[in-house]
Amino acid sequence: MIPYERTRQQTIPNSSVKIIGVGGAGANMLDRVALDGMDGAELLAANTDMRTLTSSVSAEKIQMGRSLTKGLGSGGDPDLGRQATLEAELELRDALRDRKIVFICVGLGGGTGSGAAPLIARLAREAGAFTVVFATMPFAFEGKRRREQAGTALNELAVLANALVTFDNGRMGDLVLAKQGVHEAFAAADRMISEAIQAVMRIVLRPGLVNIGLDDLVAALSSNRSRCLFGSGIAEGENRAQAALKNALLSPLLDRGRLLAQAETVLVHICGGEDLTLYEIELLMRGLGKHVPDTAQMLFGTAVDPNMKESLSVTLISSLPEEALQEGISAAASGGPPEREKPDAPGSDPKDGFVDIEPVGNNPADEPADEPRARITSSPKKVKGTSGIEKIAPAKSPRKIERTPKPSKVAPKSPEPKGPAKEVEEAPFAEKVPEVELAAKVEPPELVESEPQAREGRPAFKESSKNHSLPPLRGREGAEVRRRVKLPPKRQGSSVSLLDEVFSSKEEDDPEPDPVVKMEEWEEAEVSPIGATASIEITEIDPEADGDVVAFSTVEPGDDSGTGTVSSIEELQAAADYDPKPQGELLLEGGPKGRFEGEDPNLVEGEDLDIPPFLRKKK
Amino acid sequence: MAKTRIHVGLEIGTTKTCMVVAEVKPDSSVKILGMGETRTAGVRKGEIIDYPQVRACVKAALLEAEDISDVDINSVYLAVSGSHIEGINNRGTYRLPEGEPEILPKHIDEVKEIASDIAIPSDHVYLHSLIRNYVVDRQPHTTMPIGLLGKTLDADFHIVHGVRTRIQNSIKCVREIPLDVDDVVFAPIASAQIALTRKRKEAGALVIDIGGGTTDYVLYVGGAICASGCIPVGGDHVTNDIHLVTHIPLSKAEQVKKTEGDASGNAERSIGTVVVPDEGGFPEVEIKRQILNDVIRWRLEETLQLVKARLPEGMLERVGTGVFLTGGTSLMAGFGELACDVFGLPVYRPEQPDVSGVHAYFKDPQYSTALGLIRYAQILDEERPESRGSAKVGSFFRSLWPFGG
Repeated sequence: MIPYERTRQQTIPNSSVKIIGVGGAGANMLDRVALDGMDGAELLAANTDMRTLTSSVSAEKIQMGRSLTKGLGSGGDPDLGRQATLEAELELRDALRDRKIVFICVGLGGGTGSGAAPLIARLAREAGAFTVVFATMPFAFEGKRRREQAGTALNELAVLANALVTFDNGRMGDLVLAKQGVHEAFAAADRMISEAIQAVMRIVLRPGLVNIGLDDLVAALSSNRSRCLFGSGIAEGENRAQAALKNALLSPLLDRGRLLAQAETVLVHICGGEDLTLYEIELLMRGLGKHVPDTAQMLFGTAVDPNMKESLSVTLISSLPEEALQEGISAAASGGPPEREKPDAPGSDPKDGFVDIEPVGNNPADEPADEPRARITSSPKKVKGTSGIEKIAPAKSPRKIERTPKPSKVAPKSPEPKGPAKEVEEAPFAEKVPEVELAAKVEPPELVESEPQAREGRPAFKESSKNHSLPPLRGREGAEVRRRVKLPPKRQGSSVSLLDEVFSSKEEDDPEPDPVVKMEEWEEAEVSPIGATASIEITEIDPEADGDVVAFSTVEPGDDSGTGTVSSIEELQAAADYDPKPQGELLLEGGPKGRFEGEDPNLVEGEDLDIPPFLRKKK
Repeated sequence: MAKTRIHVGLEIGTTKTCMVVAEVKPDSSVKILGMGETRTAGVRKGEIIDYPQVRACVKAALLEAEDISDVDINSVYLAVSGSHIEGINNRGTYRLPEGEPEILPKHIDEVKEIASDIAIPSDHVYLHSLIRNYVVDRQPHTTMPIGLLGKTLDADFHIVHGVRTRIQNSIKCVREIPLDVDDVVFAPIASAQIALTRKRKEAGALVIDIGGGTTDYVLYVGGAICASGCIPVGGDHVTNDIHLVTHIPLSKAEQVKKTEGDASGNAERSIGTVVVPDEGGFPEVEIKRQILNDVIRWRLEETLQLVKARLPEGMLERVGTGVFLTGGTSLMAGFGELACDVFGLPVYRPEQPDVSGVHAYFKDPQYSTALGLIRYAQILDEERPESRGSAKVGSFFRSLWPFGG
């Protein structure tokens, strides 16, 4: 008997795959992909900005517009980005030669990304490669112009690329808890995209028992101004089929499976170890069937990969037209938007951040010096602008002035830990944040003019800071803020100045429930901790942060109905899992008890038996 | 023993009050004559919180029972529960006086006295003190030492005690009906009488009576009770949990729990959603089965784990038969699988007891406690016919050793 090798010759080798990160955002995604370990595939970073390019971990780098932008970014101008790309055309062609599949990662909306990506996609197609573009759309608050730029680029890409996977940054906010730093939010977003790339590679490169090919992928991503719905879950153990599906549906891009209800084509890929059973697949598909309409075309694929060992992964890919997506969101989750906005607010798109906002690091002495001045002058203005906080204004402004020396003290230090390879990833974030804060609080028109590079970023933030005082934000915001305020002491460690400690503890004690007031405090509090962390070791935040993201992904199955109490459930759970140190006492005292409300706590081994175990022990 | 006796068992449970009237014939067969049942109001976690309401409930149950059974009820056996009731083990040692080598009944009384003499909180009262076994000169497993020769006599007792006033409240409530209280019995001990045969008690078995407000348990090893107690968690908590997590009203939660809930943790039964239909202004709600079942399972699993943690160490391994589940909540789908997961023992539902009468009653585990009271009374009658009528709580005569065997 001749053994029949089912897959060998059909497999596309990893070496013929190239992943290209274009622009600052693309470089970030690429770094994440590299960190996640994409064996075999070649990574290429292409950017106009020399600084971010040098900090990229990818093996191959192409600097675009060497003579045009002279190592600086493209300043949010797609035309500049396009011309820069043309300058490097030959280099790019060389890099793309003989590749079977090219993945292009790009954050649209900025200059380099929006300008270069369509061109690179075209070059890739001309080189005969199957081209898949992973693009992120800018946040809503980044302003109309950036959205338009992104839209234009997206339309071009839709024509040029074989498949286009679009992520909306606005929806990435769901990836992390609101109180987590921008840093983690973007890390999570990058991780998500990296996962998507891996999943697509897994699907496309390894033919399975029931094969899914490039054609199916293209069908699932009907690329006419559509947004990608992507979810990937992995699980092992007894109920792994269920758990994997659950994890996949937890993806914010799917809105917990609700968005699938409108999908026309859904690609499902199940990959498991050698013990994958038909029963499990059936169970999983049945579970998925509840979320997908009967009329939808299911592109089903399954593969057995011995490397998966005992785990089972499921990948869902689908797409929705942009309009349908918007409807879906507004219909599905009424409580969503305010919460989504928040993590975004303090920072900008990190990816575009590199490109568009002039890095402070270049002239560290100037920026912080500007900052205090601006803040002092602007604070009365802000008070006037927001109705209802006149009373506290006098109390606040002296505080602000008091605090202003802090950043300037810190700033001179910042160049010194910077530079070594350790800081490669964090440095941009840290440097960016003070500036962003400044923008959010101050909005000085003269500043905008004085820094032409930042003209895109600024107006956008103006919008975001306005958002904060919108009424719908209040309920949630109040809760969020209180949590946020507690965080700084822990993060900053010993290097917090006394002033800051006093300040933050004051805030903790403050029983004032007025959300507007809280907002003010929060913004202030945020300035200093992050400003401080910029000069301290940022790396020590990281392990913690990663853990949190993981914890989050399994949280909150209980919020299907009733937004009001759900928030309290989340709070309870978050208090239990996330930050036990400052809020540990919540466990004993709190929790809904329903009909047993008001009775003596029914304590057994420190746990109140009247509170549902489901809420008490939620992992 | 020559004549037919009529016994009445009364259980004032958290969800229902039920009174069983039964006839014990001279050949010791039991026939259920009738049963009165009402929903209880004013009881929470097995304890009375609204006295007048409870009294009204007992009255209603009494009238119904009298009506159905056509018996004039004068006295009842009363089952009590509540987290204040505890069971503990104690050993009393008695050295026989010089020149009296043979163990006499008075020595037994003496050793019982010693064994029962343990420090219980001053506001507590003895409910039961049950002999587990005697040890004569360190020779264990002596069931009845009278007549043996020996130097020292040890007695292992299982003592059940609870807060005096709370037990008195239950008794007072019944006395005001007015009814006499023949005896007060800790609920799981009564349930065990119907759930377990003598053989099973010998082999060792754990009885868990999980009702509306409390989970009562009693562990038999070697024919004697070696642990008993009460955890103030029951089916009401499951309903409440569902209510709190899914935000549907309690009445709907109760309905969903009964019809849709599953505690087995089997993924197959957790696919899809449960739709609670709209009804009179209550909008339709969809609940994921996964969440519903998780809520139920976590609650019940925790409860069973608490029971397990309270059992004396090493005793669970000596259980020969398995876990017997009774009480209304044990009807929950998948509960058997869950109990099997937690205890790692075979799980049984009590078999149809050896009684005749209206079958609907004694098939349902909800009535096991009330029926158990009848069996308890019957055993009491058989062993000590002279002791009937003296139901003074805390008296030591009720060292009912037959309940050990």
